[in-house]
Amino acid sequence: MKALAAKWGLWGGYLAVLLLLPQVFDSILAISIFNQMAIAIVFALSYNMLLGQGGMLSFGHAVYFGLGGFLAVHVLRLMEFEAVYFSIALIPLIGGLTGLLAGIFAGSFSTRKAGTVFAMISLGIGELVAASSLIFTGFFGGEAGVSGDRTFGPPLFGMDFFSDTDVYYLAVFWVFVSTLFMYLFTRTPAGRMANAVRDNPERAEFIGYSARWVRFISFCAAGTFAGVAGGLFALNYEFLTDENLNLVTSGRVLLMAYIGGLGFFIGPIIGAIILTLMNFLLSNYTELFLLYLGILFVLTVLFLPRGFAGFIMMHQTAWLRGRLHGLALPYLLTGLPALLFILSAVCLLELSHASEPVLHFLGLSLARDSTLSWAGLVLGAGLGAFLTARSTPRLRRAWEAANAPETRVGRERAS
Amino acid sequence: MSILSLRGLRKNFGATEIIRGVDLGIEDGEKHAIIGPNGAGKSTLFHLISGRYAPSAGAIEFKGQSLANLPPHRINRLGIARSFQVTNIFPRLSVFENIRCALLWPSGYRYSFWRLLDREAGLNRETGQVLEKIGLAGRAEIPAGEIAYSEQRALELGMAIAGGAELILLDEPVAGMSHSEADKAVELIRRVTEGKTLIMVEHDMNIVFELADRISVLVYGEVIASGAPAEIRANAQVQEAYLGEALSDA
Repeated sequence: MKALAAKWGLWGGYLAVLLLLPQVFDSILAISIFNQMAIAIVFALSYNMLLGQGGMLSFGHAVYFGLGGFLAVHVLRLMEFEAVYFSIALIPLIGGLTGLLAGIFAGSFSTRKAGTVFAMISLGIGELVAASSLIFTGFFGGEAGVSGDRTFGPPLFGMDFFSDTDVYYLAVFWVFVSTLFMYLFTRTPAGRMANAVRDNPERAEFIGYSARWVRFISFCAAGTFAGVAGGLFALNYEFLTDENLNLVTSGRVLLMAYIGGLGFFIGPIIGAIILTLMNFLLSNYTELFLLYLGILFVLTVLFLPRGFAGFIMMHQTAWLRGRLHGLALPYLLTGLPALLFILSAVCLLELSHASEPVLHFLGLSLARDSTLSWAGLVLGAGLGAFLTARSTPRLRRAWEAANAPETRVGRERAS
Repeated sequence: MSILSLRGLRKNFGATEIIRGVDLGIEDGEKHAIIGPNGAGKSTLFHLISGRYAPSAGAIEFKGQSLANLPPHRINRLGIARSFQVTNIFPRLSVFENIRCALLWPSGYRYSFWRLLDREAGLNRETGQVLEKIGLAGRAEIPAGEIAYSEQRALELGMAIAGGAELILLDEPVAGMSHSEADKAVELIRRVTEGKTLIMVEHDMNIVFELADRISVLVYGEVIASGAPAEIRANAQVQEAYLGEALSDA
């Protein structure tokens, strides 16, 4: 009963946060970030149906996102020319159906095997569709892309969709429903067998399941929700180009899911939020955004293989034993020098990339030709790295103490 | 009538012939052990019956139906379940989920994505009963990859018997277990295979003679003798080929 209440509370909280966000941050910029996040959340969660839950490493998931988006834009155009009468609210459904159909087609031959074979086929399909998008200009609009106008549909609850805020509330509905359905899918026979096939496809065969069919169903579901995300994208930007279905977009959704954490349902949501925020906050200040993204990804793979969600969940034991507070100081003592190292390193990168003689960055004025600037940054980075290394043993001891079973700590205290 | 019959069964990998013409009939309800020296083809025989390998020649019939060209999942759905010599489970799923997954198809859930497993009280109760039977009820929530080896063997066995298959194939069910663990496992196997047809591959002769009511001896891909335990013990050819040594050990 308590678990049930917690579950309802969690979903209620999720919906409340989604609904309240634009009340707290109501600038146009903030709404535009929230819309991007909403799209990214659905897209990243759909990707995790493949990789995290089904063990299928796809390099072409943007295909289903993009195709869904393109079809949605075309429906918007038809509405504009009054060729069809359709509700704006259901545009993401058009995207979802497109994603489903594309998923049925591609899944019919690509889900035979997982592993390298699946990954290579997904790469091939991704390349093929991206190339086609520049060839079949009638549908994809070539390099110029296709644009539509979302304001021609009948108003919905008084919303005419001139503003991004209207789009946001529609997106919240779709994000919430999609998240809920993707979560519930994991609790069904098909969803649970997807985990089983991920773990051991051979064993699944010997308990009556065709590993291929199990993968196929997950693949179609993932395509559907990627299409929904694409439909939301079409509504938000009213504009799609070949970039929305190419390998860059496919790669980015992989990064989101991975950085967030593949093994947790909430992981891709965290990843989508982090990457969208990073994109907005950093791309205005630096041209090296992609470099930082790459470094973040490599560091995640090396040090947080279970992603940010995994990092948070690591603290569960310490939290349950009421010893989380013991970690605060060691974290601070390691975190601050690490921050110094990171900021110095970032400044070094920016300075070596600077086109102006004087770089204004993080409140510092750094001269490109001054030895002092370079020396100061190198010193900062070195000091940061040294202090980080010095403080990690202490952090490790604190970590072990916080996670140690009750009895051992008791004995240690006694001695 | 035989529930399973193998006729002229052959399997070769390239030029190497592993199974060289096996004829064998298994009666309904029989507990049948297949013994033989290493490399005799015992596991290969299991792989042929369960569909992991396709035979090079010959026929396999289960209840009068040919198993030729059927993939493993179809053979399983007919009522043949198996365990593996090397533990073969779903390591990241909990012990409970492992058993529940094994129950899904036989309980008619198929590929449904509109039913929530947590609400299927009957299925969850049945999963709990299987866990009780194999003695893992206390380990239900632990990931299967993290439990002890002998527990994983019990889980492996549980997955094979969970679905209520009529014919159960156990490939060295007690391999790698200590004496006391093996004794427990034999008790367990006896209990859970009651009223079912069992074929097992086993090296430990004590266990074979304890569990089996018929034994076949496989040597270099051929069945050289098949009969009741007493006959096999007395068979001179078997003693020469294989048993003498093992029996004097035991």
